[in-house]
This record gives sequence, C-alpha cells and structure tokens, in this order.
Amino acid sequence: MSALEFDAVSVRYGKLTAVDGVSLTVPSGQVVGLVGESGSGKSTLARAAVGLAPVSGGRVRLGGVDVRKLPRRRPLQMVFQDPYSSLDPRMAIGESITEAMPRDTSRGARRDEVARLLDLVQLDPERATMLPGQLSGGQRQRVALARALAGRPQVLIADEITSALDVSVQGAVLNLVRDVQRRLALSMLFISHNLAVVRYVSDVVAVMYLGRIVEAGPAEQVLTDPRHPYTRDLLAAAPSAHRGLLDDVGGDPLADTEPADPHHPPPGCRYHPRCPIGPLVHTDRTLCVSADPADDAAHRPHHAACHFAA
Amino acid sequence: MARRRGSAWVAAVRTPVGACSAVLLAVVVLLAVLAPLVWGDGAAAIDTDAIGQGPSGAHPFGTDSLGRDLLLRTLVATRLSIGLAVLATAIGVGTGVVLGTLPSVLPRWAGRLVIAAVDIAVAFPGLLLALFFAVIFGVGTQGAVLAIAFAMAPAFARLVQTLSASVSGRDFVAAARVSGVGRSRLLARHVLPNIGEPLVVNATIGAGSALLAFAGLSFLGIGVQAPDFDWGRLLREGLDGIYVNPVAALAPCGAVVLAGLAFNLVGETVAGVVGVRTRASRRAAGPLPAPRPAAAGEVPDDAVLVVENLQVAFPGPAGWTVPVRGVSFSVRAGEAVGVVGESGSGKSLTALAVSRLIEAPGVVTADRLEFDGKPVDKASDRELGTSLAMVFQDPMTSFNPARRVGRQLAEVSEQHHGLSRRAAFARAIDRLAAVRVPAAARRGRQYPHEFSGGMRQRAMIGMGLMGQPKLVIADEPTTALDVTVQRQVLRLLARTREAEGAAILLISHDIAVVSQTCERMLVMYAGRVVEDLPTGSPPQHPYTRALLATTVDLDTDRGAPLEVIPGRPPEPDQVPAGCAFAARCPLATDRCRDEDPVPAPAAGTHRVACWHPQVSVLSGQSREEGAA
Repeated sequence: MSALEFDAVSVRYGKLTAVDGVSLTVPSGQVVGLVGESGSGKSTLARAAVGLAPVSGGRVRLGGVDVRKLPRRRPLQMVFQDPYSSLDPRMAIGESITEAMPRDTSRGARRDEVARLLDLVQLDPERATMLPGQLSGGQRQRVALARALAGRPQVLIADEITSALDVSVQGAVLNLVRDVQRRLALSMLFISHNLAVVRYVSDVVAVMYLGRIVEAGPAEQVLTDPRHPYTRDLLAAAPSAHRGLLDDVGGDPLADTEPADPHHPPPGCRYHPRCPIGPLVHTDRTLCVSADPADDAAHRPHHAACHFAA
Repeated sequence: MARRRGSAWVAAVRTPVGACSAVLLAVVVLLAVLAPLVWGDGAAAIDTDAIGQGPSGAHPFGTDSLGRDLLLRTLVATRLSIGLAVLATAIGVGTGVVLGTLPSVLPRWAGRLVIAAVDIAVAFPGLLLALFFAVIFGVGTQGAVLAIAFAMAPAFARLVQTLSASVSGRDFVAAARVSGVGRSRLLARHVLPNIGEPLVVNATIGAGSALLAFAGLSFLGIGVQAPDFDWGRLLREGLDGIYVNPVAALAPCGAVVLAGLAFNLVGETVAGVVGVRTRASRRAAGPLPAPRPAAAGEVPDDAVLVVENLQVAFPGPAGWTVPVRGVSFSVRAGEAVGVVGESGSGKSLTALAVSRLIEAPGVVTADRLEFDGKPVDKASDRELGTSLAMVFQDPMTSFNPARRVGRQLAEVSEQHHGLSRRAAFARAIDRLAAVRVPAAARRGRQYPHEFSGGMRQRAMIGMGLMGQPKLVIADEPTTALDVTVQRQVLRLLARTREAEGAAILLISHDIAVVSQTCERMLVMYAGRVVEDLPTGSPPQHPYTRALLATTVDLDTDRGAPLEVIPGRPPEPDQVPAGCAFAARCPLATDRCRDEDPVPAPAAGTHRVACWHPQVSVLSGQSREEGAA
C-alpha cells in the first residue's frame, strides 16, 4: 500500500533530458538502492518524486495515487546529501523537526514528539534547542533524518546521505538508517554513487546511466551476477581487497574513454562509446549504435538494457 | 555562540574604526534625544538686538536673520535631520523588502511582473526619482520623506531578490518545502532571517545616503519648511550670508558630514562583525606555541622530501590554533606515499605547507622542511614551479575558467623555461596527449568548462608534467569523481610515476584507495602522524585498525551492523594532554590520557605512536608487556 512507483518518468530542463522514461518500483517496506555516476540523473529522479523537479512525462505514484494529487504534507520524505546545508543555520534543531510535523499536533505533543524522534536517531533530546552549527556532520545528518521522520512518512528517500561524511561516521549513520527503516517498515529509495554502501543497505539494486535504468534486480544477484557491462565496470572500479585498482594498466582501448555528455546522448545504446563488449571492441556489433536496447529490456534478466546481455 | 558574537562586537569596538563609529553614533543619538529638550527654547528665542551677527562669545556660531543662536539651532536640528533620514530609510527598506519578496510568494506571472518593474526602477537615478516624487507628493516634509524612501526602495528590492534567490537555492529551503512548509512561512522563517545581516548593513549605510539626500532636498527648498528646520534648511539660510558669517553655513555642513560619517562607519563596523566583509584579525594571539621537541629521524639518502616536526598554526581570538602539530616524514625519490585521515586531521594543510601555499595569518614552522635537498622557504618559484606538481580536489576551481586549457599549461613553460609562445603551446599539447586526453590538439584549445571532471583532473596532472616533476602532491584528486573515472586518474598517476620517476604524495580520506595505490601510508589524526606503515603490513595503531574496520566494501557482511568509531576527533584548539585518540580508543589506559605517545619504530620502516600497539589480530599484546 505504500509502494513508490515511477512510471515512465521523464524530467527535462530545456533541451537537457536528465531523466528519460524511467520506470522503477520501490516495493512496500523494502529498500531499493540506486547507483550511477554523477550526471546520471539519480538525484533528479528523487527530486521529481518529492516535487522539487518538474515531471515532464510519466507519473510518480505513492500507494497507487499520483503524488501531485497528494496533500502538501506528503507521506514521502527525503534526506539530503549535505547536512551542512540542509538544516537552517538559524533555526534550533527542535524547531526544524517540529516544522515538519503534521499541523494538527498539539504544542505539548510536539515537544514529546521531538524528544522521541531525537531519541530514535540516538541524539540527546536535551539538544533540541541547539543550532546546527553546534553539531558535527554526523549529528546533523541524524537531525535531518529525524526531521524526515517527523512527517510520518511511508516512503523515505535518502539522497547520497553519507557522501559528505567521514568514513568513521558513515557507519553509524548507515546503521541508524537501516535500523529505523526496519523498525518503521518504511519503503526506501537509497541513492548513492558508492556501490559497496548500496549493497550493504539495499534489497533491490537499480543501476542508472545517462538518465536511464540499465539494470535492476535483487541486490545479491545484480552484484554477484551483473548482466549489463556498465554494472560490471562499476563493480570492477570499486576499491576492493581482492583486486588491485592498478591492475592491467594500459593495453585497454577503453581505459581512457570519457563519460558521455548528457546534453548529447549517443544514439542507440547510450553506453556503446564506453562498452567493453560493444562496437569499439567487436566491430560487427553495429546493432548497438542503431537500436536502443531499452525497448525490449523487460524480457532480459535484470531488465538489462543491453543487446548482448550475458 | 551568542557569547562569541558578543566578544566579536567588543573586539570590533576596540578597532580604530569601531571606536570612532561608536563614539560618533553615541553623540548623534544623544543630541537627537536631548538637544530639543535642553536647548529647544533657546534655539527658538528671537533676539532683535542680535540680528545676523558673526561669531562672538555669546553666540559662538553667530545668529541668523531673526537673531536666533546658530549653535543651538544646529544642535537642535539633529533630531529632525536624523529622525527624517531614519524614517525615510525605514520606509524605503520596508518597501524594498516587500517588493523583493513578493515574487517568491505570488504566482509566477505576477512575480515576473514585479521583478520587471523593480528592474526598470533600479535603472532610474535615485535623486531624479526623489525630485520626481517630491513634485508628486507635494513640497514639504512628508513629500520629501516619501520621495527619498521610494527612491531607495528599488535598490533594496533588487538586493532582497538577489539574496533570497541565493538562499532559496540552498538545501534547507528545499528540505522545508518537501516537509510541506507553505510559501509564506518559508519566506518568514527560512529566507528572511538568513538575509537579515547584509540587509541591516546596507540599511545603515543607506541611512547615511538618506541623510545627505534629505539635506539636499531641504537645501533646494523642497524638503523641510519653516518654521521647522533641519541641517539642509540651516545651510540654505546660512548660505545667504556666507561672506558675512561663513560659520553659519559651515556648521550645518559639518553636522551633516559628521552624522553621515557616523552612519557609514557604523555600517562598516557592523559589516565587519557579521561577516559580510571578512577582515583578517590583526590582533596578536600571543607567542607561537612551542612545538614538541622531536628527535631527528633517519632520513634516507635519496629523499626528495624531508619534513621534520612541521607545525602549522593560525591565530584565533582565543590564542593560536594548531591544526598540524609536529609532523615528520620523508618521501624517497619515485616513492608513492599515501596520507589518510578524517577531515580536520591536518592532511591537506600538511600538503599546502610543503608546497608553500599556507598564507598569512597562518604560520608554518619546522625543524627541517626540505624539497630536493634544499629548504623549501629558500627555493625559487621556478624550482618549485617545475619540479613540484600539485593536483587539487576540485579541478574546476584550479583552472582559470576564462582561458583555454592549452594556454594555461603553456604558461608554465613560458614562465619557467623561457620557451616561446608557440613552442610552449606545442609542449602543452604534447603533455595533454601524455596524460591521455583524447584529441589533445583540439582539446587544448577548449575552455575548462568544456572538459569533464576526470579530463580536467588529467589536464591538471598534465600541467604538473610541463616541468620535470620530482614530486606530485595530489590532494584528494578523485573525491569529486566517480569510481570508473577515479580508477582512470589513479592509473594515470601511477603511469606518471613510472614514466617520469616522480614521487607521489597522495592525500585521501579513503584508506582503500591509498592502500591499493601506494607503497607506504601515513595515518594522520588530530594534526599528528600516528602511524607510518608499508601498505602491505598489518597496522598496529588502534585508530588505523578502526579506520580499516569501518570501511564498507563489497565483502562487508550485510547481516551485521557496521563497525563504528565512537565519539569524534578533538577540535584543533582543544587537543587533550595525552594521546589525542585516547577518548575514542577501546585500549586506552591512564598513561594514554596523561602522556603523549611519540612515534616509535615497530618493524623496519614501520613507525607507530601508541603506548599499546596491536601486534597481531588475536593477541592484544602491548609494547610494555612485550618488553616485560
């Protein structure tokens, strides 16, 4: 009942198509991880869901209802990337949290609720009167989470919530988010460019490239048996204890290819100029340049948008 | 926070400008309040025996055509002059704020209309607008106040629009919108409070202009009308007899100047405190804290960089802050050394100090700081420019956006090698090709914004290769990049090292990246190197071990909670006496809290600054136990 569905959603800014016909479902009570490089449109997709980006095509539905028809205080909340700019520097944190609560909450109930939420995110309720400037980055991100929870959401969107934090703090915030998600049975869209973090948090993983989802499926399957060459590249580039980052230096004709320009997406498969199994390596694969693999992605395993998905 | 703000005000008043403005403001305000009460009757007293007199003992500034004392009249006029100026400013700023914020509350088309109207009004000269309004509202005090107010309003509306547009783009406004906060509340609670400071500063300075404008209107006879009088009116009356009694005209002039100065200086002081203009604190923070004496370590013969007991300090209001506290290490020729640590650990400042990029008021001291066998502070710009390369985190800000990439690279060779323009550009293209920028000749003629992040970082490395670098310092070179591009840039650094024989100092918060690309790793915590270890060997410092344990990778157990390091690093101005990590360390003892551990050799080149180094995973054997 609280599933978040993106149905062929497109977001255009002038001539730039940041999100191009994305369909994705965040099932009720589950965590969907969305990975992709910067400029792939993953944050724009999230902003479209909460009304911060204009939806120029398709629909975003929450529990079957178009989010644009929902009341202003939606059961759909978001935590932003940078805790240093997502909290008003002049507003006490308790006040920031109170502001997000439903209107009908009484004054006394609000104070209790602030204390409960701060406690839930493992902050001392005494801190409610503090300004964000008096808190560390990790603490601020907890406050941002508490504010999102104050809106009693069914769906939570977490947009790169740990990328501005130090490694030693990242763990604590991830543990907390996972714990809260399970306790409140929230549906969650978890966005990150860090594959390892997405893997840890998510039940389902979707990979985005140049405004499109190129592969999606159960987390363990996608990461152990990736079908799209881009997913495989991402996995290979992630620092890991088993593979050296500097292995096979040189020799690879694709080692220095540039990410495609979202203003001028390549024809056919959008990944073909960088693809290790595409026309640059196998010259006979002209199909990749002429036909868009997204059209019949639904029939392939993991909905992989690749003509030659293994 | 409030207290810090309070002390900033006190400090501001102690500066010459601050003191002047405080005294002037106090005098002006006191006069405005008290003068009419005390001297009001005297200023109005007509004395037919003393008409149009010059300065005398009884009338220091002389008298006017009705024999009234001009000194008293000038003093009494303070209230009206100041009052009207402040009133006009208040109305002007108020109108400006309303006009400036309307676009964000109104429907989009109406908002655009308001913006267009304000834009047109801004283009009109203020005084002309004031004269125009003065005619419309009629000659007199009321007309003049409204005229000046409405002449000020467009400029303020524009200011408010610009400021609120920049605040509205911040995440906290987006966050409030997502949580369902309405437009008016958004404006009142989030936007306006965050633009208050520059508005107040501008309003104070605006009041000075209003004072001047008002005096001008009164002087022209379309401001204050008799029997009321302000400084402008006194000036007009005094001007008639300027050859007889010049003081009669000069006194109100002086008053206008002083009061205007008071407003402007107050604005300046307020700006200094609320941080609109940053001004370096000139207050001496006392003598530099003495660095901990350190024994000179062994330096390998082929060291390209030797750092011994490096300290970087910044003066603060409460004394010196020392973010780098005695760092020692050396980098051998062709070696790849990584520096890891959390934000605030001092790793970037160490790199900046090595490349002589710490600017005043920061102070760098070291027992030894040598690059390529010479003290860094004695090296010429040319030597550093050609043999030390620096790669920063954000390549967008390290290139000049208005010049072509190739030319920016060529500049290095023109400056330092004396190459001709053409030869330098050819070398730039060659170097761009060397860092594998595709189509180097074409891309060299492009501007930085036409490059992607990864390509810009390549070009930055290419710039370092214009000389023959012996050392490349890369400060978080891949933090702003994606994993696939990160791998490309790291591989490029490795290739550069191979091809040029350059040593690499790679600064990163990501211990996984460093351990995969470097031979040696320096772990920094709270301004110190706590461990210096070969990347293959198991770390012994509890902090390094904790950092490794908290790193999430593709093999992390999804069923278990992630490891965390409790607590947070100490603030640079509140470092405890003993080991800085003691408060977060599970192995800390009383000794750790009292005594600062010094780096001690563990095995080979491995050094660790810990009283209880962990020799292996299983046995928690400490140094003391090992010795016993």
